[in-house]
Amino acid sequence: MKTVILLLLTLTGSLFAREIIVDQKDKTFIPGTLNVKVGDTITFKNSDPFSHNAYTDDEDNEFDIGMQATGTTKSVKIKKEGEFNIECAIHPNMLIKVKVTK
Amino acid sequence: MKQFLLIFLFFILSVSSLSASEIQKWLRPTTVPVPQDNLLTQERIELGKLLFFDVRLSRDNTISCATCHHPKRGWTDLVPVTKALGFKKKRGPRNSPTLLNVAYQNRQFWDGRVKTLEEQALGPLEADIEMNMPLSTLIPKLNAISGYVKLFKIAYPNEGLTKESLAKAIASFERTIVSTESPFDRYIKGDKKAMSPNAIKGFELFKNKAHCTDCHDGFNFTDGSFHNIGLNDGELQGKELGRYNVKKRAAWYGVMKTPTLRDVTKSYPYFHDGSVQTLKEATALCASGGRYEMDVKNKSTSMKDRELNEQEIDQIVSFTKTLTGPDLDIIIPKKFPQ
Repeated sequence: MKTVILLLLTLTGSLFAREIIVDQKDKTFIPGTLNVKVGDTITFKNSDPFSHNAYTDDEDNEFDIGMQATGTTKSVKIKKEGEFNIECAIHPNMLIKVKVTK
Repeated sequence: MKQFLLIFLFFILSVSSLSASEIQKWLRPTTVPVPQDNLLTQERIELGKLLFFDVRLSRDNTISCATCHHPKRGWTDLVPVTKALGFKKKRGPRNSPTLLNVAYQNRQFWDGRVKTLEEQALGPLEADIEMNMPLSTLIPKLNAISGYVKLFKIAYPNEGLTKESLAKAIASFERTIVSTESPFDRYIKGDKKAMSPNAIKGFELFKNKAHCTDCHDGFNFTDGSFHNIGLNDGELQGKELGRYNVKKRAAWYGVMKTPTLRDVTKSYPYFHDGSVQTLKEATALCASGGRYEMDVKNKSTSMKDRELNEQEIDQIVSFTKTLTGPDLDIIIPKKFPQ
């Protein structure tokens, strides 16, 4: 019974996990603030005519998508709750404030 | 105030072919960003200025901040890296960057290793190839100069003369090193005669065909971004790794901060290695995609051959020359606290 409940909870979690699109346009992350849940995916879309990047050094959600070419998308899954910033390694003025809840 | 700004913007729009948002983007701000814990006061600025020009802040009393960042030399030193001498004639690996408009930058040094001017101010003091003055020696040395103790008491009454208040005072002065009104500023405000037809064409090339604004964007003609512009080839073994030395992040391999182009005619030689002497050569190098086109690891995607002819290069140079304003009105101190 416990296994079934756990399985259902996992499936429900996957069903409700969202994909949040973040545009990189005019050297700005759009939107600049995000309220997401654990398990959600953030997809970065580069709409500028030059490369971008997105990374965070937050211990619980650390990622670095590397160089992202024009017109491409890259996704990261959010692992743990907390608050952190995402920056572009090329353009440090680009910043997203992220709040993650369960 | 809002009404005044609207009327001002309406006036500019009526005499300009540029859109309102574009004009706003290029207008020089009237204030600089200031941290809450180090608000600008005249006392702090004046104290910072004395410290900035005082050679006693170096180990052997020969070098001040102004040695490498002099107001009469474009807030840099105008010498190639090979001739820029620090403590006991030691040479650093990088060209002295101009201090003009550093208040508007949110990463300091060529490699952006610190964020604030307060953090930056202490770096060259201690660097062994620059002023080589350990703070553990400098703070007692300054505390033994009663004139400085008195000035710190006035400027930072609750803080004393510490490394923190020393950094704050120098940073306060640095925040006053801002660009003055240039022909470009007058042009953008509606004076169409402020720039020559060649310079106006250069501005259009700068924004469009040449893609200079990929990096040299906004009123300060830098967006604070970091790029490997292909000054060196290959894997950079034994060469300058730039921001990659701060953290081994792939996107930081061989990258350096985009410098401002404000007063660019006063801050030669160019690039982080000071390897280019003239503005025309620097413009041509960037517009052709860098010194090395192939096999440059992590080269910026903005560095492409834009296929400009010589006339177009000259027009861009004419434009960038319009970014130079008169020298900042500053009295260099001759007497220092005793």
